Formats: sequence, structure tokens, C-alpha cells
Amino acid sequence: MNEFLSFAAVVVGIFISFAMYTTLYGRPNPLRSWAEFSYLGAGTGVSVVIGLTYIWNTAVLGIQAGDWILIFSIILGLMMLFRVHPTYGYISRLPLAFTVGTGLALSLRTQIFTSFIRQINATIVKLWTNVPLDFLYRVTIAVSVLTILTFFLYTMELSGPLFWTSRVGEYLMYIGFGAIFAQTFMGRLGLFIGYMESLTTPTWKTPYTVGSALICLIAAILFERTGLGEKLSAG
Amino acid sequence: MNRMSDEGGIYKKMATYDKRWVYLALFAIVLYSLIRPIGMPIGISAQTKAYKTELDTLQEGDLVFSTWNMEFSGYMELKPGVLATHKIFIEKGVKLCIAFGHFEGVALPPEIFKQLKKWTDDYDYTEGEDYVIIGYVFPNEAAVAALAQDFHANVRVDWKGQSIEGTFLDEIQNAGDFDMISDYTTGLATTNLINHVVLQYGVPMVVNSIGVSVPGHLANLDAGLITALLASTRGGAELEFLINSPGPGLKSMDAFTFGHYSLIIFIIIGNIGHYGWTRRSGARERTGIR
Repeated sequence: MNEFLSFAAVVVGIFISFAMYTTLYGRPNPLRSWAEFSYLGAGTGVSVVIGLTYIWNTAVLGIQAGDWILIFSIILGLMMLFRVHPTYGYISRLPLAFTVGTGLALSLRTQIFTSFIRQINATIVKLWTNVPLDFLYRVTIAVSVLTILTFFLYTMELSGPLFWTSRVGEYLMYIGFGAIFAQTFMGRLGLFIGYMESLTTPTWKTPYTVGSALICLIAAILFERTGLGEKLSAG
Repeated sequence: MNRMSDEGGIYKKMATYDKRWVYLALFAIVLYSLIRPIGMPIGISAQTKAYKTELDTLQEGDLVFSTWNMEFSGYMELKPGVLATHKIFIEKGVKLCIAFGHFEGVALPPEIFKQLKKWTDDYDYTEGEDYVIIGYVFPNEAAVAALAQDFHANVRVDWKGQSIEGTFLDEIQNAGDFDMISDYTTGLATTNLINHVVLQYGVPMVVNSIGVSVPGHLANLDAGLITALLASTRGGAELEFLINSPGPGLKSMDAFTFGHYSLIIFIIIGNIGHYGWTRRSGARERTGIR
């Protein structure tokens, strides 16, 4: 029985994945709506359970262990629920302010080091090194930083050498954006391939994967051609 | 001007092809490459070698904080790195404290440890004794900071609700007691861990990041905030090669290669079409399609 349930979960999972992928077809269809809302429902359910478990494990067990100050966190949490009340919604502002204040204070204390000082330190390095590739790398960083900085000089006219350095900076940024785009595509493709790999391993899954892909593609085309897609899908 | 150039002809078709063909082609190429891999060779980057070298510094019994800062979708990209790194941990006999940064993390341990079963069986690596899963503990920065300062005030039970007392986690008072943080990230609590564990306690941190976040983490690597970086599925495949344990990463490298080739071909087709179309008829201005 358990084996059958595991098998059924895998097959339904494969089908629902391809139903979700029909969104790439660009036309509404009920398969996509079914998959999307199933995912949202399941995801919300799981997040509520995990969230409540987290509160239990950290706050309730903490209070039981004598950490009484955690009672305030539960009270603040309950006050947050007033957000949905039309009259007493303002009560939720207090825990919100507390949360934002704490978050900012914690973040600012460390961000100044991680995002500014350490990054600037890493940029200002000795140019000369015995390793030719490192030397090239460091020179590239130095040239890029200086020329890109000149591109962002808005308070003066960029003429003469500054014009050319800003132009070089501009093109260096294009190269950077191109590299980031390539990395992004590689990442998205990696995500897709990783999932497809899990849908084809072990090999018994492959027929279900190919079959589900074909069924969903044909269904998406038929829903568009017959005009039923718009009618039957939600949102 | 002849009729062909007025309508744009082949160039217009090349410039404005339906993007659904791209998706279909990618689907077909990826699926076929996974079903019938040909095993194209891959090179090993210095970055992955440095990651492996960093892991090699660990000794038996060292405490590693393995932070799974990923959703289930992110795991699909990071799977090769996660599996290969944990194989190394198990072989070395390090003690693992596993935490999640996303509620979907609860779906990961059965999936991951099922694939590591051969290693956990071979090395008699057991839950509770060699590794403890403390579950979802990083909902926000405040939680990370609190856990880093006083571990046991914030973690009393594992993900199954069983007390962690009596496990190797008794040795942990604050995050400084860990010998390493091994982070697998789609960008959730990683910055918080850098801010509140690496900066405060000087614990070395290695990161296995999704491709989109790699440029950001390269800056952290240069700044010395993290000690090593494993980039996306590609990095995971390289690590599999280095430890001589082929897995999902190496299997998917053909699909990666052909997927990239197909995109390059589509970009070339689009660009040829765009320049040909605009030069011949000036249709770009008339139609407003850019």
C-alpha cells in the first residue's frame, strides 16, 4: 500500500509539474490553474504548520523552560493579528514597529562591515604579484572601479579624459551585466535541468515524464484552439 | 523596395520567432540529453578545487553547521553540491548540525538522506549521534543573531520535536563553537549568517550558491567573508568529479552544454534577423517592435 502511495505521489507530482509548465504556452488553461492553486494551497498549509511549530519550539518551550520574557513575543505576535481588524488594525503597528526597528538595528550594525568596509578593503589591493593571472585580475579590478566611478560623476560635465574613462566604464558595466545575465541563465537552466534530472531518475520515471509532457502540451494546444482554456481556467 | 523586404521576409521571421519554440527546443534538448547522455568532458575550476581544499581541512569529530538555506526548487539546482559535500562530511566523520532557512526545508532530509544511504550505511553515520537536524530555525535576521549568541536558548528540540540534550550539540554554546559553516543557498539567511556568525565569531564559511547569486558571492569571496564558493550545478558536478563519485551533476552536464548551445543559436538567429530586417526595410520604426 505504501509503495503504491509513493508511486502515485511521484506520478501525480510529475503530471502536476508539467501542468504548471503549460504556463509557458502563454494561454490560460485549467490544467495550469489546477496545478497553481494546488501548489499555493499546499504551500500555505505547510508554511502555517511549520510556522506554528517554530513558535512552539522557540517560544512555548522557552517559556516552559523559565524564559518568561518570551511571553512578550507571543503577545506582540498576537497583536500583529489585529492587522485584519477594520477598527483595531492600528494595534498591529506596535509589533510591526518593534520588528522593523529590531531588524534595522541588527542589520545596520553589521551591514556597514559586510557591504561597505570589507568590500572596499577587498578592492584596494597591491597591484603587483608574482602570479601573472592575479596581476591581470587586480589591474582589471582597479581599472574597472576607477572608470566606472567616473561614469557616475553627475555634478560635472564629462569632457576630455573624463569622457573617455566614463565611456570605458560604461562598456565595462555592459560586460558585467552580460556576465550576470549569463550566470542567471546558467542558474535557471541548472534549476530546470536539476528538476528534469529528478524526473528521469530512476529510469522507470522517464515514460511518465515524457507522457505527461506530451499530454499537457496537447491539452494546452487543444484548450487554446477550442476556446475552452479561457472559459474553464481561473484567473 | 521589393515585396520581401516590405514584409520583412525571412529576417522578420528570424527576429520575431515565437518564444515558445525556445521553450520547446530547450525541453526536448534537456530531456534527450538526460535520457541519452554522451558524457562530454568537463574542466575543473580553481574555485571548486579551493572549495574541496577547504573541506579537506576538517578533521573527524569537527562540528559543522550545515545550513540548508534553500527552497525545494533551489535544491534542484544545488543537489549535486549538497550530495557531494555531504558525502565528504560523512567520509570524514564530522558532526553535522543541519538547519533550514525555508519552511520547504522539511521536505529535504528524507530526499537527501535517501540518496546518501550508501554512505550513511557504510560509515555507520546515524541521526542523533553523528548528525542532528534542528529544522526550520532561520525565519529572519533576529532569529539568526539570537541563535548565534545563545544556541540552546533558541534550539531545544530537533525537527521531530525530540530534545537535543545529550547529543554532541551540548558542546555548542554559541555559533563560535562550530568549526565551519557549510551553506547551501538561494539567498535566504546567508547574509545574516555572514553578519552574525562569520563577522562576530570568525567561523569559516563555505557556500554552495545558485547561479543567479554567484556574482554577489564572488564579491564576498574576494572580501574574505566566505572562504570558498561552489557555483551552482556546474560546481557540484566538478566536486563529484574531484571526489570520484559521479552523481546528478555529472549526469546533467551534457544537458547543460547543449542547453547553452541552443540558447546561443537562438540569440544568433534573433540578432541576424533583427539587423537584416531593420537594415532592409526600416520595419522596426514603422511597427514599433524593438
